[in-house]
Amino acid sequence: MIYPFYSERGSLLHSLDPRVKILGTAFGIAAIMLYNDPKVLIPLFFVFLLVGRFLGKIPVGEQLRLLKPLLPIVIITIIVWPLIYEPRLKGLLFGISFATRLLTFALLTFLLLITTNQRDLILGFVRLGMPYEFGLTISIALRYIPTLYILSRNIMDAQRSRGWEVEKGNFLVRAKKMTAVLIPLLVASLKTAHELSIALESRALGASEKRTFLYDIRMGRRDYVAMVLVLVLFGLTLYARYGLGIGHVEIYG
Amino acid sequence: MIRVKNLWHVYENGREALRGIDFQMGNEIVALVGQNGSGKTTLAKHLNGLLKPTKGMVEVDGLDTREHTVAELSRLVGYVFQNPEHMFFEEDVFREVAFGPRNLGLSEDEIEARVRWALRAVNLEGYENRTPYSLSGGEKQRLAIACVLAMRPKYLILDEPTTGLDARSSESVVKTIRKLHSEGHGILVITHDMELVLELAERVVLLHDGRKAFDGPVEEFFSMELHDYGLEKPELLRISEKAGVGFVRNVPELVEALAGGGR
Repeated sequence: MIYPFYSERGSLLHSLDPRVKILGTAFGIAAIMLYNDPKVLIPLFFVFLLVGRFLGKIPVGEQLRLLKPLLPIVIITIIVWPLIYEPRLKGLLFGISFATRLLTFALLTFLLLITTNQRDLILGFVRLGMPYEFGLTISIALRYIPTLYILSRNIMDAQRSRGWEVEKGNFLVRAKKMTAVLIPLLVASLKTAHELSIALESRALGASEKRTFLYDIRMGRRDYVAMVLVLVLFGLTLYARYGLGIGHVEIYG
Repeated sequence: MIRVKNLWHVYENGREALRGIDFQMGNEIVALVGQNGSGKTTLAKHLNGLLKPTKGMVEVDGLDTREHTVAELSRLVGYVFQNPEHMFFEEDVFREVAFGPRNLGLSEDEIEARVRWALRAVNLEGYENRTPYSLSGGEKQRLAIACVLAMRPKYLILDEPTTGLDARSSESVVKTIRKLHSEGHGILVITHDMELVLELAERVVLLHDGRKAFDGPVEEFFSMELHDYGLEKPELLRISEKAGVGFVRNVPELVEALAGGGR
């Protein structure tokens, strides 16, 4: 159904403050954007795989499995580049390198999600300045995905028991048939949302200007060290790219 | 006749919900009881083909549920889900009840006849133009029964039909169930409500941990140690036992027994 990304493994990445990880991911993605040279992009992908393996204790096989849904777009990238670029061999190289760049973006995001539980992740964003209501909205939305999924299954079973068959008919007929599921689903969702809003208000959401947190996050020495390390690394990539001119090639000459 | 033979059901996540259930029912009122997660709903969903057996078999009037779709089986076994609102989507009661028969591809005359009949059966005549969502709890439950009834199934499965209803509404549902039974329907009631079992059922099937723990008459069922299965004996039976009148079905019976004994 929905892949629960987070899994507890007690690694270094797991134990870091979510703010460090969020900023680290953002800088990581920015760093990859700076380069377009296959000599840099392809190794970088493997570097992050190793980061996940050794700092996040996530087996390489599992990381690759997470990336599997991206396979179609990777294949398209690798096929299209040599078709539109001359010389073709170089185009293939660019195709591969841009596909790995894409995979690296995804990998970085997955590393954040897999090593940070939802509560900490949202708290991290809130602590970084996102309004609390946003964070709450996101966590409620995520929380209700499985609930709504179960609800829609239930409704479909109820309608199937009344002889409803979605499999029959062409697209238009089937789309019309879906109203039998969508309307009860909509009504039930609205009712749930309404009840939820009452529950939130009766627990005094928004009563005080400044919220306190039951579970709070605090930057420890390790987190500061990690943050400084991330910043230094990002500084180095900037220097390498613009100071030394490494990692950039002219593609459209 | 519904026949269930050595039924096993294993969910995708590997949970064994049913482990070898044997069960039969004809035109009777059977209460299906057990704790949450004991397999009641899983068993019931096999009877109209919503779930297919992992092992063993389910036969409804000679039809193997593995070889027939839910739509085909819905003419034989009606399943009324716990929350009636999960099926309402039409703008008025008439169209709501007509949805099932329309799926069967019947003529407009036949559909209209069935809707009128089903609404009469659950005592909702005159509600044809109301919006389903505007009805009261008991009315919604009865409308849900009518929606399924309009398919003219021989067997009816009712999942928690009285949960969340006030006394009068649940009385109206009980009356409807009795009436349908007297007209020859076999009825399976899934419930946690032991008072309802005592009042309504002819036979009780108790599931525990995916296995059948009891199958027999109501009186025998309530003589068991129900606590072991997370169930409570109804107050009425406690009173009648204390009063020394033994097994009674409802308050009038108890009063009668007490008054008779007093004379």
